[in-house]
Amino acid sequence: MIFLNINNLNVSIEGKKILNDFNISINEGEVHAIMGPNGCGKSTLANVLAGNEDYEVNSGKVIFKDEDLLNSNIEERAQKGLFLAFQYPVEIPGVNITPFLHASINSKLKNEKKPELDNLSFAKLLRKKAEELGISNDMLKRSINTGFSGGEKKRYEILQMSILNPELTIFDETDSGLDVDALRIVAEGINKFKNPKNSYLIITHYQKLLDYIHPDYVHVMRSGKIVKSGDISLATEIEASGYQKF
Amino acid sequence: MNLENNFIKHSKEYIFSDNKILSNQRESAFKKITQKNYDKKNNESLKNITINDLSKFDYFYKPIKEDPTVSLTDDLNYEIKLFNGICKHYEDDFIEIRNLTNLDFKTLLNQDNNNLDDIIIDFNKIFLNSGIFFNIKSEAKLNIRLTHETSDNFTIFQNNFINFKKRCKVKLEDNFNLTNNSINNINYNINVEEDATIKHNIFQNFANSNKLYLTSNTVCEKKSSYSQNTYNFSDGFVRNFHHVKLNGEFSNASLRGCFFLKDKNICSNKTNVKHNAENCISDQTYKGILNDHSKASYYSNTFVSENAQKTQGYQLSKGILLTDNCSFFSKPELRIFADDVKCSHGSTIGPVDESALYYLRSRGISKNDAMKMIISSFIQEDLQNLDKDIAERVSKNLSDYLTSLVND
Repeated sequence: MIFLNINNLNVSIEGKKILNDFNISINEGEVHAIMGPNGCGKSTLANVLAGNEDYEVNSGKVIFKDEDLLNSNIEERAQKGLFLAFQYPVEIPGVNITPFLHASINSKLKNEKKPELDNLSFAKLLRKKAEELGISNDMLKRSINTGFSGGEKKRYEILQMSILNPELTIFDETDSGLDVDALRIVAEGINKFKNPKNSYLIITHYQKLLDYIHPDYVHVMRSGKIVKSGDISLATEIEASGYQKF
Repeated sequence: MNLENNFIKHSKEYIFSDNKILSNQRESAFKKITQKNYDKKNNESLKNITINDLSKFDYFYKPIKEDPTVSLTDDLNYEIKLFNGICKHYEDDFIEIRNLTNLDFKTLLNQDNNNLDDIIIDFNKIFLNSGIFFNIKSEAKLNIRLTHETSDNFTIFQNNFINFKKRCKVKLEDNFNLTNNSINNINYNINVEEDATIKHNIFQNFANSNKLYLTSNTVCEKKSSYSQNTYNFSDGFVRNFHHVKLNGEFSNASLRGCFFLKDKNICSNKTNVKHNAENCISDQTYKGILNDHSKASYYSNTFVSENAQKTQGYQLSKGILLTDNCSFFSKPELRIFADDVKCSHGSTIGPVDESALYYLRSRGISKNDAMKMIISSFIQEDLQNLDKDIAERVSKNLSDYLTSLVND
């Protein structure tokens, strides 16, 4: 089975080309990191994979679990097991976390033709996962991301990931805006729920997050394509001398 | 039938038609309209309404067999049904209800809306055919569920007086159960005496062949509290114009409304608060969701008189436009003549937040369900402040509205 294969993907927004013959393959259980300077197309990649309709896919193919991902809309991609941990999780006042997550897990289970979770089973699952991440019950009573600190928002993204248990998680600059302690807490959360059957694509500027998560592969992205691939030592090289040499 | 024919043919059927002073008042309101002696360009009372629509109708009003009722469902919970503007006379230690009689005409002459430049009120005066007098006695603590039932093709022009006496505490629920092709021009004159606390919830949910013009004029005396919540789920035209005068120190008023429109429905809203005394608080908040080709307007006005120091006055309007073809006109206005006040106003109107929609969909929620969640969240904060039974009722109506959107 092809888990994820992106082949010659070209993407533009409002006529401006962002991804330029982009290629990558990720197998089941692998952890990949993509590093690159501002404006190189990292977040565009994350959003295109999640199905953001603001972007125009000009050409190329994205195969996910043997299916053409580009034929699916945003929610279908999520139901098939793709999860985007947002760089800036949006605040939605009035939409309570608990019923939202309950609807979310049930939409995935329904798609997998599995029995949906009743209120009690879901409440137990949510409490268990929240406890493991040190998220209080009070926080679960609040509206989505509303009034959360930067660290809380990212921890809440991890909580969603742990409940939905997606096969592919894309972390879009999850480390941005976090202080050292918050970064450590979030990274520990990711490691806690990292599952050898699932795959991860970590998009970041800095080595720090990768020090915690230990990716199998590190890629350098410039001008909408991957220009170099290697192991964690590539991240160390970037940290020491920047992106100019790539 | 045009206005003139209606007036000539039916003028003897109206209540107080034998009273010369009121007849003169009717005559002068009639002349004002027929001689077009009103502001035609910037008349807020005619927003989303044309004078032709108002003038051409078939006046129809006659006594019917059904009896209005008053019943006590349990301790101090009153169910009152008005049939075509008529109530059943009832009185106990807490409440008195009766139809207006000739004896009340002086009250009618002195009523607070006489100075309003409002064409709808002029029509109410011209064709007045019913009126109810409510008296809620001092210290009474009770709930009233009032239902206005109007039969097919009836034209109701009603003027009601509600007197909430000192220290009473009342939850008044107003329901409009209209059948088909009815016109309901209903005016409330509400007086809230010292230390009285009133929660007035108004539900409007009826078929599109009906029209409701609801106006209220409320006066709050010292330390009184009047809180009005209006929910408009109607397919028919609704005009909600609500005015409050805060005449007593430490009184407060809240005029809140939510409307949910679809198809080619139109609604016109106005709230107006006059701060005439010190240390009073007012809140005017209207929210609307508009779909298809629907249209809404909202004027909010806060007037703070020179002696109304320490006033707090807040205004807010919010609208969600679900299509490019619907529109929401909002005009907040503050006129402040005192120098020690806290007042604010705000208005936001726009489509559903696309980033919120994307976020919810990225978690596997369908577009329709995500839309429902966002729209529900829009009034969620208002529901939190309501009594449980009212909140449940609004949620149920909202759910029906959202289902109709998805099924379109």
